Amino acid sequence: MKEVVITGVGIVAPPGVSKREFWQNIKAGKSFISPIKRFDASNYPSQVAGQIENLNVDGLPRRLLKKIDKFSVMALIATDQAIKDASLNLAREDPYSMGIFIGNVLGGWLYAETELRDLYVEGRKGVSPYLASAWFPAAPQGQISIYYGIKGYSKTVVADRASALMAIGYAAQVIENKKLDIAFAGGTEAPVTPYALLCCSTEGSLSKGPYRPFDKERDGFVIGEGAGILILEDIGHAIKRGANIYGLITGYGTFCNGVDRIMPDPSGRGLARAIRATLNMAGYRPEDIDYICADGMGTKLGDISETRAIKEVFGSHAKRIPISAPKSMFGHLLGASGAVDLIITLLAMQDGTLPPTINYKTKDPECDLDYVPNQSRPKEIERALIISRGRGGINAVLAIERGVKLWKILRKG
Amino acid sequence: MENIEKRVRELFIKLLDMNPDEVTLEANLNDDLGMDSTEVVELTVALEKAFKIKIEDGEITNRHCVGDVVKIVEERLKK
Repeated sequence: MKEVVITGVGIVAPPGVSKREFWQNIKAGKSFISPIKRFDASNYPSQVAGQIENLNVDGLPRRLLKKIDKFSVMALIATDQAIKDASLNLAREDPYSMGIFIGNVLGGWLYAETELRDLYVEGRKGVSPYLASAWFPAAPQGQISIYYGIKGYSKTVVADRASALMAIGYAAQVIENKKLDIAFAGGTEAPVTPYALLCCSTEGSLSKGPYRPFDKERDGFVIGEGAGILILEDIGHAIKRGANIYGLITGYGTFCNGVDRIMPDPSGRGLARAIRATLNMAGYRPEDIDYICADGMGTKLGDISETRAIKEVFGSHAKRIPISAPKSMFGHLLGASGAVDLIITLLAMQDGTLPPTINYKTKDPECDLDYVPNQSRPKEIERALIISRGRGGINAVLAIERGVKLWKILRKG
Repeated sequence: MENIEKRVRELFIKLLDMNPDEVTLEANLNDDLGMDSTEVVELTVALEKAFKIKIEDGEITNRHCVGDVVKIVEERLKK
């Protein structure tokens, strides 16, 4: 893949609702996981989450806000940031050459739960007529398209925790195939509601906290809410309008395990295959990779199988690659996680700093790689991989390359 | 009756978060107020609650004007 660049990012997440604030907090290795206070979570096995308090929605019309769920609100705010960050003037673009690719798992349960309660208590007239268009996973895609007048090929991807990375990989392929000039790609998730937390709990993978991927004492992941949207662009289109280029998307691979409904394949073979496919598409050798932003599910089997897959592909070089799960700071954003991890990796490349895995204390003999424990550290990153995995045995991997190098080539050329 | 007109207009203004000047009796629900079918459902349910009346599904559509809606409410209250 040689034709797709990233020219803008927008982030709404517990560590920050702007890329500057977000990155400063990630770099500092702070924790943004706190006890759930929005509802009584005392009967749930996991009572903590990465939460965004007092989200500023002043930029959105009140008439719209009552019709949409928080997951659409966060996606709209992140999209607005991304458009501004990319200095994109939408009036100058062909609406049919722009598309939207959003990942999501749960839908808008904050809206749905309240209205379903009203349905059972008050009957059908007690239910907001907006429920039907507010809760479903494709609602953010629809809202973004209406709000910005985007009319090109678009798709919502529901693939559990790999949703956002798959949406981005999909979008990149559509641009590579010259079907679009610009894609708004990423994910959004609002899982801090009683029913959504229940669904995550019954899966049996939630931690009581802290969220400590790759640590021997790990007991699962912690959920978090947020959205990440990136502007993907055809390279020629981006250069023509003089856009700032964060990086290139050079490879994408996805394979299924075909093993278990919930648990990953212990061997990590499906993931290893996805990593290899991504490296092949990008034309990279294993030693070209400077950093891996890991899925870091935080379960016993999740982290062991991810480590095994990396070791299988990278061999002796695996120990020299820094691998981290920055989501340990703010929770697993489920269907938005791949977009947030990609934004973190781009900002890490820009800053020359590796984001850490926090809460790491005890080494697990079966997870014996460099997980960038607890503190960020300086490192120039030219090429990186982002890994996302989901229930049902879904594996997705994206390869990216730093933008600065591209500019050097262009100047020479 | 003037009071009903005032209350109906206030309901429109509150539901649509619009400037009172835009919600005239002549304003068409679709063309002038930009209301879609779900907003019409919200309006219908709000009118039923506010005036304690019954309005059939589809009785108010976004082809109506604010004045038509006032008339429907007035007629229903007469019964």
